[in-house]
Amino acid sequence: MIVVRDADANSSLGARLPRFEDGRLLRGRGRFTADTPPPRCLHVAFVRSPHPHALIEDIDVTGARSASGVVSVLTAADLPHASLVDACTVPGLVKTPQPALAGERVRFVGEAVAMVLAESRALAEDAAERVEVRYTALPPVVDPEAALLLPPLDPALSSNEVYRGRRATPGLEAAFAAADHVVSGTFTTGRLTAAPMEGRACSATFDPVADTLTVRCSTQSPHLLQRKIATCLGMDVAAVRVLVDDVGGGFGQKIPASPEEIAVALAARAAGRPVLWVEDRRENLVAGPHGKAQRVELALALDGDGTFRALRCDVLGDAGAYSFNSASALIEAYLAAGLLPGAYRIPETGWQVRSVLTTKVPIAPYRGVGWTSGHTARELLIDRAARLLGRDPVDLRRQNLVRPADLPYTTPTGMTYDSGSHLATLERAAKLVDAANVVPGPTADGRYRGFGISPYVEPSGWGSAGAAESSWSFASHDSVRVEMAASGAVTAVVGTPSQGQGHTTTLAQIVASVLTCDPRRVRVVTGDTAGTPLSTAGTRASRVATVIGGALLHATERLAAKLALVAGHLLDADPADISFRDGRAVAPSGSVGLAEIATAAVVDPAVRAALPEPDLTATAFYDPPATYSNGCVAVVVEVDPGTGRVDVVDAAVVEDCGTVINPMIVDGQTLGAFAQGVGAALYEDAGYGADGSPHATSFTDYLLPTARCLPRIALEHLESPAPHTRGGIKGMGESAMIATPGAVACAVAAAVAPLGITVTHTPIHPHELVATEE
Amino acid sequence: MSPDDPLVRRAADPITVALTVNDRPSRMTVEPRTSLADALRDELGLTGTHVACEQGVCGACTVEVDGEAVRACLLLAVQADGTEVRTVEGLAAPDEPLHPIQQAFTDHHALQCGFCTPGLVMTVHHLLAERHGVDDGEIRTVVSGHLCRCTGYQGIVDAVRHADRTWDRPIGDGSG
Ligand code: FES
Ligand code: FES
Repeated sequence: MIVVRDADANSSLGARLPRFEDGRLLRGRGRFTADTPPPRCLHVAFVRSPHPHALIEDIDVTGARSASGVVSVLTAADLPHASLVDACTVPGLVKTPQPALAGERVRFVGEAVAMVLAESRALAEDAAERVEVRYTALPPVVDPEAALLLPPLDPALSSNEVYRGRRATPGLEAAFAAADHVVSGTFTTGRLTAAPMEGRACSATFDPVADTLTVRCSTQSPHLLQRKIATCLGMDVAAVRVLVDDVGGGFGQKIPASPEEIAVALAARAAGRPVLWVEDRRENLVAGPHGKAQRVELALALDGDGTFRALRCDVLGDAGAYSFNSASALIEAYLAAGLLPGAYRIPETGWQVRSVLTTKVPIAPYRGVGWTSGHTARELLIDRAARLLGRDPVDLRRQNLVRPADLPYTTPTGMTYDSGSHLATLERAAKLVDAANVVPGPTADGRYRGFGISPYVEPSGWGSAGAAESSWSFASHDSVRVEMAASGAVTAVVGTPSQGQGHTTTLAQIVASVLTCDPRRVRVVTGDTAGTPLSTAGTRASRVATVIGGALLHATERLAAKLALVAGHLLDADPADISFRDGRAVAPSGSVGLAEIATAAVVDPAVRAALPEPDLTATAFYDPPATYSNGCVAVVVEVDPGTGRVDVVDAAVVEDCGTVINPMIVDGQTLGAFAQGVGAALYEDAGYGADGSPHATSFTDYLLPTARCLPRIALEHLESPAPHTRGGIKGMGESAMIATPGAVACAVAAAVAPLGITVTHTPIHPHELVATEE
Repeated sequence: MSPDDPLVRRAADPITVALTVNDRPSRMTVEPRTSLADALRDELGLTGTHVACEQGVCGACTVEVDGEAVRACLLLAVQADGTEVRTVEGLAAPDEPLHPIQQAFTDHHALQCGFCTPGLVMTVHHLLAERHGVDDGEIRTVVSGHLCRCTGYQGIVDAVRHADRTWDRPIGDGSG
């Protein structure tokens, strides 16, 4: 069912409500990690490797130790710790932990080898320059193909290949043998980096009397970080408290525990003074985890009429230097394979996935993890098929998309699409950019125009079931707590921090929808492992709306039931007859406001005498079933064949994330992800030279899209509520980043096809599009 | 030069800077190499000014110095001696309603994480103080001096267009 909804008058769900967090952020009163240094804290500067691969022969810290303002200079030998490896497993995946500080060998440019603790960051940086490290250089391992044959980066391994797996449906080979057409291609997606405007930042304070550690961190996963720090430092989880205030963007990069964060925690304990590390942009670019970086070889089998029969892929993931957490070596390549069929009906699929170590920054999630690369490759291949068969790209997709009658639809890779509007979003997106009238090829003014369309599915709101459908072992559930004070004010306590997604507003809307009260009466509290219920996975994978939202619906209903008991007593009514309207409990005998109920529950002895537990706290646990968002991105580009410049001249995103909590925030997530997708397709490149040195070391090399790079984007929302999750909520937020690079790449490919230029990788560099003289 | 060289020592000696920040006379004692951004944050506690690149690319650190929008990471604090500085904290007092630009930003969802926001708001403040009736092309050109990783800029463009209409202000010289 697809509904285009009007906001229910009595529900805060679906309201385009301005965000509660905006006021303080706009007044400059946000509280980011660097804004609240612990009293008397020492500042960290890391000494980082200039070599992509080298043995550390000797580190001489004497000069640095005597430098002005320096309190301590630490190397790996000073900071022993248990290994930083994630509990998440995929059978066959080899793990190679990254140490907090490299001890014997460095494996990428930027890897930390020592840390200086000084009275200011400037003094720490001065002293860091005086640390003398003697290296013996080893050959860099840059090309993932070559890495398969080169000596392993980790002497304990027999090869740089840390994972190899294959899977296929039984009819795959027969489908290829029987196909009328087989279209194939190899596509690569370059390294990207999330580049949140606030880089990573972390402070730690050790209390030697209580033997506790308090960490403040710009992280997406406070509970996960708490666990990792406790493990690495040999402390009890309960003795480590992680606080998160405002986070200046994360996009996946701040999911994993960073080696630097472990180093900061270790250093605070070793130095006996609080320690603060705020990375600068160069550190973020060369040492913060990267994303994407895959080579995808694809073959599509089609019938003569264009029906897709089978799709096969071979994915090679460039893991970077270490395979140390769920977020590193495998996540990209493996997830790409799982979503191989995307929004299409393709009965047979098969994949081989390999992941190899190279001398580059390790890979972590970046919005659209894994899926972006596979999706981009598939969409480019489908356009290639359309050109080969002389078919319109929209029409070929229309023919093969999942249709309403197919739902629920189970892909050969094991995902069950519970609901969706796959065809409807395609039609709307094509219409919004007037695709029927875009003629690919040269325009009157000498540019080349192209159109690209990219229908997507986003496995959203990962609970454990959703994770399992992506063949990923991943605990992904949450508990939440909702409480009402004597004043009637409501507090919702959750374990998932926000990095700009507006949870303070949307989660309040969810709670308020049950109590029928003003969402402004609901305060959302998060960001403190000492006070918030456990969130195993934190904020990632578009899961908060679904998992936390569902848990809050449960908990608030429980709270409402308790309120009904009190209200029943006050109104002399059967609690079963009580309903809530406009923030009041309503019974046939009359009504009473939430504040009056709450006050009575707290202070009225008569209520206490009548009710065994007039307590207004409720908790709930939720681990939702799998659900899938969908939608479609369409773009029109123009290419200047003289300079290779690409302009995105028109664009539309039609998305369907089930029940919409706040359309304004869905718009924002979509627009932001779209921009990142344009960056991924055209501008952003965190690649490495053949010598293993990183190309992107500042924002003058790593080009983020600016307001001038983007047209006005048309947005539409369709709503196919999830049939099985609480509230019909699906996740969103990564969608446009999954689909936009493919749309842009297809549009550029269509534009330059008449020039004999093919597009096989992103980012597409201008020089590749310059028409050569005939 | 050895660190004992008098020239070196003099170059590192702290200097006292007197300036007006958000209409209040302020003094701070800083190393000569301290940027205005760091000084505002560390010495005056005005942490609304953010740093995200420290090389003049991103615009997060933008403040007004004598009415001009400047990147506070590229100006030394000592260069701001005697100037009038306005930071994001100086647009609306905590007990006052939001400035019309700030109000437009929230109404049009022009911010997500809010890290780039203070700098953008200051640039927009400078733009609109001088110009009335800006069009989308001009807005995009000005906004393209800032990096925002979250919003895709569309809400920001809408907010600026809206604030241009709602902010009641004297007519500037229009030269921009
Ligand atoms: S921090 Fe000043 S421009 Fe980026
Ligand atoms: S709102 Fe996050 S960088 Fe602009």
